[in-house]
Amino acid sequence: MEELDFESALERLEEIVEQLESGQLNLESSLAVFEEGVRLSLYCQKELARADGKVQRLLRKLNGEFELEDIEA
Amino acid sequence: MRDYITVSMLNAYVSRLLDQDELLQEFWLKGELSGYRFYKQSGHSYFSLKDKDSAVSCVMFKSRNQAVNFQPEDGMEVLLRGYVSVYARQGKYQVYVEEMLPYGTGSLFIYLEKLKAQLAGQGYFEATRKRLIPPIVNRIGVVTSQDGAALQDILRVIRQRHPGAQVILAHSSVQGSEAPKELAAGIRMLNEYGLVEVIIIARGGGSVEDLMAFNSEEVVQAVYASDIPVISGVGHEVDVTFCDLAADLRAATPTQAAQFAVPDYTSIKKHRDELGLRMARSMQRLLAARLESLDRCLMKKVWSQPQLLAKRQADLLLACQQRLGAAMLENLKTDHHRFTLTVQGLESRSPLNVLTRGYAIVAREGVVVKRIDEVSEGDRLQVEMIDGRLTVVIQGKEKIARWKN
Repeated sequence: MEELDFESALERLEEIVEQLESGQLNLESSLAVFEEGVRLSLYCQKELARADGKVQRLLRKLNGEFELEDIEA
Repeated sequence: MRDYITVSMLNAYVSRLLDQDELLQEFWLKGELSGYRFYKQSGHSYFSLKDKDSAVSCVMFKSRNQAVNFQPEDGMEVLLRGYVSVYARQGKYQVYVEEMLPYGTGSLFIYLEKLKAQLAGQGYFEATRKRLIPPIVNRIGVVTSQDGAALQDILRVIRQRHPGAQVILAHSSVQGSEAPKELAAGIRMLNEYGLVEVIIIARGGGSVEDLMAFNSEEVVQAVYASDIPVISGVGHEVDVTFCDLAADLRAATPTQAAQFAVPDYTSIKKHRDELGLRMARSMQRLLAARLESLDRCLMKKVWSQPQLLAKRQADLLLACQQRLGAAMLENLKTDHHRFTLTVQGLESRSPLNVLTRGYAIVAREGVVVKRIDEVSEGDRLQVEMIDGRLTVVIQGKEKIARWKN
């Protein structure tokens, strides 16, 4: 769950909804995927609510390393 | 004797004056080519650039000439980038040309057409190698000027559509002599940095000359070589640069480039909400169906009157018992008859019958002896008679041929 990125989370959620809607699952599996779906849905909601985007300028230091400098933009 | 200086000193002095002037170290000069001479041997070219009233000598060295993509001719209007210095041998100043571009829609158009054909020939515009822009990105690299309007347009769109997205800027000039090099370096730097999922290369609108950096082979090559998908948004709707053609996706403007780069989180939010709802609804439906089945089961009489279940079993048991009894009786009748017949048959075959007729059965240790070879003198044998058993000892053997062996 931790390594999941937003895109795969959303994809998996879509898959789960389709599975549930197909009615092919038994009660136990339904409950299991439902639980997973709720977790994914909450994760997506959290990600979607993020508004901490930054603008940074990429600079290369003399030693060749990268440096990110926040810029007002 | 008056103070004097030598010619060399004069030229050196003037030369120093010119070299100190920043304006003369880098500028663009427009004019008409005149007296153009190209020396194959050295690879250098010499010519004048003139307008209505003036002319200036120019020299372009081999290394610079190699980058010229068109055939300069007298009378052609060109744009030169270069610096001024003194040619001491002749005591004249001249323009040292670094770059030459055709000027004016006519010649520029021809130049661009040739360059386009050349770049296309090198495969930079192949549609087959265009990559898809990932549908969801969180880090966007932008190659443009930190001070330009294009960056502001891009940031506005990104904040609106995806407020959580990180923007990594590789600052570059977007016009002038250094622009091609810097734009290309920006793309390469973002690739090296590696953490962005898509790159936008952009510039606001301008004249065809202003956009020339985005037509340079240097930029086209860098865009082509980028491992990270590149969206190009240069100028206005009508401007199509070679950078656009080499990019994985061409946007008409910087604003559109940003729209292409980041997903619209508002619509994704809606999608997520809808998925959540659908999930809840189908779960509800599923549970409702199960509850209904359960109710239907619980309504059955057997739960309210479980004794019914027992009574039916008891009835079943009774019926079975009755059938078993009847069957047994029937079987007994048949079996008794068969038994009588069998006993009669057995009696006729019984060895006891034979014994009554005077025959005896000889055995040794319980095994019937049929031939004299099976026993030896001195063996103890049992002889079964009708009324008892004798134990005898063999005292002699004699083989006799009977009618049948």
